[in-house]
Amino acid sequence: MRMTHSLRGRLLWFLLAAITLAALAQASIAYNTALSDADQIFDYHMQQMALSLRSSTPLSNTEAREKLEEAPGNDDLVVQMWSPDGVQVFHSVSRARLPQRAVLGFSNVKANGTTYRVFSIQTSGQTVQVAQDLAVRRNMAGNLALRTLGPTAVMMPILMLVVWWVVSGSLKPVARVRKQVAARQADDLSPVSEAGLPDEVRPLVHELNLLFGRVKTAFDAQQHFVADAAHELRTPLAALRLQAQSLDRADNPEARKTAVARLTAGIDRATRLVEQLLVLARQEASAANGAATRPVDLAELARRTVGDLTGLAQAKNIDLGLQHADEASVNGQPDALHILLRNLVENAVKYTPAGGTVDIALRLEAGAAVVSVEDSGPGIPPDERERVFDRFYRVAGSEAAGSGLGLAIIKAIAERHGATLRLDQSERLGGLAAIVRFPLGKA
Amino acid sequence: MRLLLVEDDTMIGEVVLDLLRAEHYAVDWVKDGEMADTALVQNQNYDLVLLDLGLPRKDGLDVLRSMRTRKDRTPVLVATARDSVPQRIAGLDAGADDYVLKPYDLDELLARIRALLRRAAGRAEPIFEYKNISINPATRETLVDGEPVSLSAREWAVLEALVARPGAVLSRAQLEEKLYSWRDEVSSNAVEVYIHGLRKKLGSDLIQNVRGVGYMVPKA
Repeated sequence: MRMTHSLRGRLLWFLLAAITLAALAQASIAYNTALSDADQIFDYHMQQMALSLRSSTPLSNTEAREKLEEAPGNDDLVVQMWSPDGVQVFHSVSRARLPQRAVLGFSNVKANGTTYRVFSIQTSGQTVQVAQDLAVRRNMAGNLALRTLGPTAVMMPILMLVVWWVVSGSLKPVARVRKQVAARQADDLSPVSEAGLPDEVRPLVHELNLLFGRVKTAFDAQQHFVADAAHELRTPLAALRLQAQSLDRADNPEARKTAVARLTAGIDRATRLVEQLLVLARQEASAANGAATRPVDLAELARRTVGDLTGLAQAKNIDLGLQHADEASVNGQPDALHILLRNLVENAVKYTPAGGTVDIALRLEAGAAVVSVEDSGPGIPPDERERVFDRFYRVAGSEAAGSGLGLAIIKAIAERHGATLRLDQSERLGGLAAIVRFPLGKA
Repeated sequence: MRLLLVEDDTMIGEVVLDLLRAEHYAVDWVKDGEMADTALVQNQNYDLVLLDLGLPRKDGLDVLRSMRTRKDRTPVLVATARDSVPQRIAGLDAGADDYVLKPYDLDELLARIRALLRRAAGRAEPIFEYKNISINPATRETLVDGEPVSLSAREWAVLEALVARPGAVLSRAQLEEKLYSWRDEVSSNAVEVYIHGLRKKLGSDLIQNVRGVGYMVPKA
């Protein structure tokens, strides 16, 4: 486990560092406070000692020693006394050789490689000097500071254990989620339980569940589509098989000719169905990938579509034309929009009886570019106008051999471009009017 | 034999229609469930219904259920792309006599049609025999004293209808219905002409005239 990426490791390291720093700060403050307190106390002590040793008459060595020994904690103190003529009259037992000269009052004196605090007082009878090694004071402050560190040293492992325990406990649900997700089959997209998760992790798991939901929807749609497609392929294949068998049975040239023509038509239909399936699959895939868009000139596209399908229309003696074309451009995928328009017009031509009319119009209306394809065909009854968008749905009684996918493709493309698709009755031509509204403004 | 073909797919429908007509069945073709209902109610003389299930307007299963609710016992051969086991069970339980899956083989379809027609006539044996005459509906082979006899398509259709239900009397109108689908013009004395032809080829014993009622083939 790399400490830098483990929540628990990081927490423990930072906690350790914080506690150590706090302890050091505490010790340092305690040391300084103790040192300054010790200075005051010992200075006072030295002063009192010097004053008590002062007397109008010079003390003998013995007297001074007795007096010295009465004072508490005097082991560290070095006392020297001089007579007014400068002769040393007393020197306490000490290895320390302090300077013979003394400055009156407090002073710090360096001698023998250490620093002494010295207090000197002069009376008419003698000069009294009390000195103390500063190391004594530092040692005392140091001991005091060390003692304040004690409780912290005891608390530190306990604190770290508690943190370890709390963090482990909090992360347990996360480990559970990890296990659940790791043990999953590829097609198991049910939500992961969010119960017991820490607040910091729950949003992540929640978003994950939402993603699972979206993937599941797409997955289910795809599965349905494959099932539908397999089912729908059966009919053209059944037709092909029957057509091939009837060709086999044809016993005269005329019957054979009919059979071949039917077989060819059957193959064309199966081909068309497969093509449409591919188009639909690609449209849905690019919808999922969010393919790049660019401005598309709808008027140009409409002219191109009419040009493409003029031959088909003429073969059925249908009057196909671009009735009106405002200049309009929308943001989108040129190929997809071409398929949309082409399918709409192809449908109109296919379902309009020979001699009929198909009109395309592109108009700019309030905030939208509206493409309409109207025909003089039989139209679609109002109660079927929603169902025709379902894949593989075919209007009852329609003679044309459609794949049942054209409108589903058109709808998929329209939705992806934020456009709305509506079917209505054409007021002018009496047949179907397919109206696609592209909202403008984003373009 | 008169069949009702219920099939919404134009390509499949036209091939099956041609095929069945080539087999000398009289076939009517409807393309949706409601039309199938209408045809079945108006003409109760179909010998078999070839039923697709995925139909516009009214589902094939519903057509089948309404038939059985009306006590219509016409054999129904379901021909469909619905291939899951529960779907097949649902089809048979709704009253289908047999179930074939698309894409099916033409010869198999014909054999299943013959089997259903045979069973509907109360026979299990495929060949009808009477005295010196032997009739095989599968091959449409008719033997007299072991020698094949050549029959016209119409003659065969009349003979097949009579042989299908030995002992049952069929009126001239009933025979006409077996002979002609909606597309055909029926001449007034056609049935008599074919009966006459059959008697000439098979002898007068087989087809008996029940005066004022119609014709019958005696039970073997």
